[in-house]
Amino acid sequence: MVKRLKSMPLYLFLALCAFITVFPLLNILAMSLSSSRAIISGEVVLWPVEITVQAYKQLFIDGQLLIALKNTVIITAVGTVLQMIATTLAAYTLSKRRLKGRQIFTFMVMFSMLFGTGLIPLFLLVKQLHLINTFWAIWLPGLVSAYNLFVMKSFFEGLPAELEESATIDGATDLTVFVKLTLPLSKPILAAISLFYAVALWNTYSNALYFISKSQLLPVTVKLYQMLQTPIDSLLAGGDSSQYIQPEGLKAAAIIITVLPILCVYPFLQKHFIKGVLLGSVKG
Amino acid sequence: MPKTLHQPSGPAAIRSKSLNKPGRGLLFYLYRDRYLYLFLIPAMSYFFLFKFVTLYGELIAFKDFRLLDGVWGSPWVGLKHFHTLFSSSEFWNVLRNTLLLNLYNLVFAFPAPILLALLLNELRVNWFKRAVQNMLYLPFFISWVVLAGIIVSLLSPSTGVVNAALRLFGIDPIYFMTSTLWWPVVFIVSTIWQSAGWGTIIYMAAISAIDPGLYEAAKIDGATKLRQIWHITLPGIRGTIGVLLVLQMGKMMDVGFEHIFNLQNAAVFSVSDVISTFVYRTGLQNAQYSLATAVGLFQALIGLILVLTVNKIVKKLGEGGLW
Repeated sequence: MVKRLKSMPLYLFLALCAFITVFPLLNILAMSLSSSRAIISGEVVLWPVEITVQAYKQLFIDGQLLIALKNTVIITAVGTVLQMIATTLAAYTLSKRRLKGRQIFTFMVMFSMLFGTGLIPLFLLVKQLHLINTFWAIWLPGLVSAYNLFVMKSFFEGLPAELEESATIDGATDLTVFVKLTLPLSKPILAAISLFYAVALWNTYSNALYFISKSQLLPVTVKLYQMLQTPIDSLLAGGDSSQYIQPEGLKAAAIIITVLPILCVYPFLQKHFIKGVLLGSVKG
Repeated sequence: MPKTLHQPSGPAAIRSKSLNKPGRGLLFYLYRDRYLYLFLIPAMSYFFLFKFVTLYGELIAFKDFRLLDGVWGSPWVGLKHFHTLFSSSEFWNVLRNTLLLNLYNLVFAFPAPILLALLLNELRVNWFKRAVQNMLYLPFFISWVVLAGIIVSLLSPSTGVVNAALRLFGIDPIYFMTSTLWWPVVFIVSTIWQSAGWGTIIYMAAISAIDPGLYEAAKIDGATKLRQIWHITLPGIRGTIGVLLVLQMGKMMDVGFEHIFNLQNAAVFSVSDVISTFVYRTGLQNAQYSLATAVGLFQALIGLILVLTVNKIVKKLGEGGLW
């Protein structure tokens, strides 16, 4: 009992840390659901004051954020598939020690981790490939993360070699071994890495900022940036002054819409994430 | 570092060696591993195109680049753009900000996950530990646009909750986002908020790999909790700290673009403009391609030198380093 009491400050302190971490999110959620009057007078802390969904309604009527949301869904879904295909195939191949030229390929990947390419050469390349204002400008420049590649490679290297051997004796090609043996055994790592990719794509920001200027193609992050920077009434067409909403409330609602999908899936995914990081701490 | 999870076994290495019998031509291997080489095509074309072909584009740092003439057709100008840079006060300001913000990061944000991991490790009530961890990890998955939006709203002098709290204590509202004094503080605190929790994962793993027997022995010798942390836990995770330090040092020239760009505003330009935002502005917004490339190249080279140096130092100190 004495021992328990002694560690009370520790528990309290960490609970406080956790609270401080999530408090800003709760505060913005409360703001998005509060009336303009309550926001202006600074009454909103943790719970919505004078609950209203006016801000959300306004955003849905306006629709711009929804188009951006749709773009982000496409970017995330297609992008994750492309990235996983490229990464998994390469990681599997590089995990095979018998492969001639393995070191050269591995070196290429290592080098890319150490020496970053500048933005301008990348921009010129993307321009030359005519990818400006297409989603490919987001998918291709980040197709493979060297880090994820190495994580997967070390996972594949750890799979029992005997399985592959016996399959090969039975006449299986690399293709069959990969599809029928390796992939089913690798579900945990496939889940972890595809989650990393998906979250990164959902949050895609700079590549879209650099390479996409067409308003109709912008992902939700860049759209949100524009909303946060501009005085809000100029964003919404045909603003009716009687329906005027405190910009803070509207911005809060836009923030919540942007982040909500991540918040919803977070509790289910979180254990996969940790697995991914732990595998990553194994040296490539 | 936690113990290696998957080490290719000895026999596998021998077996694969015997497969590569001498005297076989390249064609033999190309045919035997045809699927494997096929598998490599997407990723390797990516690395080739986006990491190596772009190196060729770095040439324009030494040229007066004109879009119509292309990289090769534009005239050479030697180090002209570097001279321009090094003689402009804007560049030195940008460089100073980059280094300063990184230095603050190193001093304040780097130790945060280590401390947090040490504390979390002392928790014995499992559901509590898990709940705290889940909350601490969360901001890591949210983009900087969103986080910056939340920060600006929290710190707003008129409607923000922070200033409302300050008012309760009779303190005048502080204009955090537009004060050159407060902006770096906001930057550091937001860095810690976003990543300290997530950073604990790797340290927690390292701590759990420490032999529990050591603690038993220390307890018998009458070591207090603090002494145990100092003499057992910290030495036990030295290698991990070293590796992460190398990685952090490698980023010395690179403060995350998204983080800065989203928090930046005209009032705090003098303390918040860094290399990545400078490159974006001069290069993409003002189309001074060559100048921006020169900055980028400078940044990449210093970054490379830093990683290599620090890695060497870490190795000299008897830790594994990065490679």
